[in-house]
Amino acid sequence: MKRNYNFKHWIFILPALVLVISILVYPIFYSIYMSAYDWNLFHSDAKKFLGFENYLSLFKDREFLHSLWLQLGFIVIALPIETILGFFVAILLNRDGKFYDVVRALLLLPVFVLPVISGLTWRMLLQPEYGMMSFILEKLGFGVKAWLAEPNFAYSMVIIQDIWRMWPFMFMFIYAGLSGMPREYIEAAQIDGAGFWKKITKIVIPYLRPTIATALLLRLIDALRIFSEVYVMTGGGPGNSTLLLSLYINKQAFEFFNIGYAAAMGVILLIVALVIAFFIVRGNIQFEGEKG
Amino acid sequence: MKSKHFRKRFLTTLLIIIILLIVFIELTPIIVVFMNSFKRDIDIWARGPFYFSFNFDSYKSVLSNRDFLLSLRNSIIVAVVSTVISIIVGAMASYGITRYVFRSKKLIAYSFLIFRMVPQISLVIPLFMMFNQFQLRDTLTGIILSHMSFNIPYVVWLLLPFFAAIPRDFEEAARIDGASEGGVFWRIFLPLVGPGIVVSAIFCFLMSWNEFLYALILSSTNARTAPVAVNGLLGQYAPKWGQLSAAGTIMLIPVLIITITLQKYIIKGLSAGGIKG
Repeated sequence: MKRNYNFKHWIFILPALVLVISILVYPIFYSIYMSAYDWNLFHSDAKKFLGFENYLSLFKDREFLHSLWLQLGFIVIALPIETILGFFVAILLNRDGKFYDVVRALLLLPVFVLPVISGLTWRMLLQPEYGMMSFILEKLGFGVKAWLAEPNFAYSMVIIQDIWRMWPFMFMFIYAGLSGMPREYIEAAQIDGAGFWKKITKIVIPYLRPTIATALLLRLIDALRIFSEVYVMTGGGPGNSTLLLSLYINKQAFEFFNIGYAAAMGVILLIVALVIAFFIVRGNIQFEGEKG
Repeated sequence: MKSKHFRKRFLTTLLIIIILLIVFIELTPIIVVFMNSFKRDIDIWARGPFYFSFNFDSYKSVLSNRDFLLSLRNSIIVAVVSTVISIIVGAMASYGITRYVFRSKKLIAYSFLIFRMVPQISLVIPLFMMFNQFQLRDTLTGIILSHMSFNIPYVVWLLLPFFAAIPRDFEEAARIDGASEGGVFWRIFLPLVGPGIVVSAIFCFLMSWNEFLYALILSSTNARTAPVAVNGLLGQYAPKWGQLSAAGTIMLIPVLIITITLQKYIIKGLSAGGIKG
């Protein structure tokens, strides 16, 4: 039987494989190749072989280290807040009824708003004088300011924008896990006289741990490669105060035309993403068809 | 007894107020875009944020802007074509991986899952060089190909559990009836994974529709998609917020319709390949 099927699966797999190899796998190897050169976008003929030198220079590049730092801060601040918000709102909304169905549907909207529109909208809200948020901040006594021109504030707003958009993603994941939780768990705890916090820390969190871990890893990969929202919102500025990793790579590649150097950064980012992907994959796949 | 009842009522009311507040905060930016799309650029600059008008000038400007219309057309073509191709080849691959026994099965399945995690910025630099070489830069084909780089792995990933869930008996029966390999796939399996196909179609379309980085780098004038064109409305000195909001609202309409009407599928898609059983 095995013999019989020896090659037929390839007929099905091959089209996808060929496409993915040519637009994904080959380009990755090509970028590894590029990363070994001092390569200017407009002078491909004059490229110079450097070996690992691009990678070594990265760790002396203060702007790179700065963007790495910003990226790390972005992740470390945004993700826990998104998770906590998502978790508690999921508990609040874990009820039946038309009202709650509608609320859950509405909360999901920001997740799917185009990143570009989201970034531009926040930029609009923060315009001095006529932006709604600036207006409110002014009324609260913070004065009239071009908020996105203040480095720390711009960075905070980039993070708040992401929290606004993505906590409902965590919420949806956690809610899906929570609604699948057997009622007896909670009831048993109630009989034992457990309080609200005890129920959460002793029953709900342990039960949801794999769900939260998966959601968090997926968010982590997305947060790591965030680009569009920030690019349209601040362009990495003012100065380089919101120049997250992808934005810096883009700047090196398509503003300074150092594509060899940018490719090296791309490879580093890719490796980090693949390590996270490894954990996602290890935790959760289930596709073996042999069960049936 | 009565006070307990009262307390419960009070808590429920409080809960509803909190929930409504959260929903309000989440929707405010979207509502602001919608409201600003009915204002003229000049009104947005000159009057406070709470000035309200019902004026179609911004829509008129945007819908008579040839560049924007072209980009909108490009976006639709790119999203539809990349979705259709990704689903066909992705479903085939997913079927091939789950329904046959072979040695590299695991390796191939895992590879597709991992391909999905590749950061766009890492891929866009080599793609830019390759597309220059093959004259694919600023062509719809190029943008479609670049979008397929994330859509195909997504479809394969999403459909694996759907195909795996179908009992063996189905195909054995079809084979005994003399159906060909292709026949089994097209006529028996594809209809059975229908919901999975719907979910992947929704997500491929949305991901392609929302995509910005590839379009920004790999296109200039001909193949520019709507997200890039919308960003272009910022202009150098005076952002045209009214037009930008009108264009943004137009872009948001399909997204909002899909998200609201197909919510059940969306939740499935979000957790695709995620939560175990």
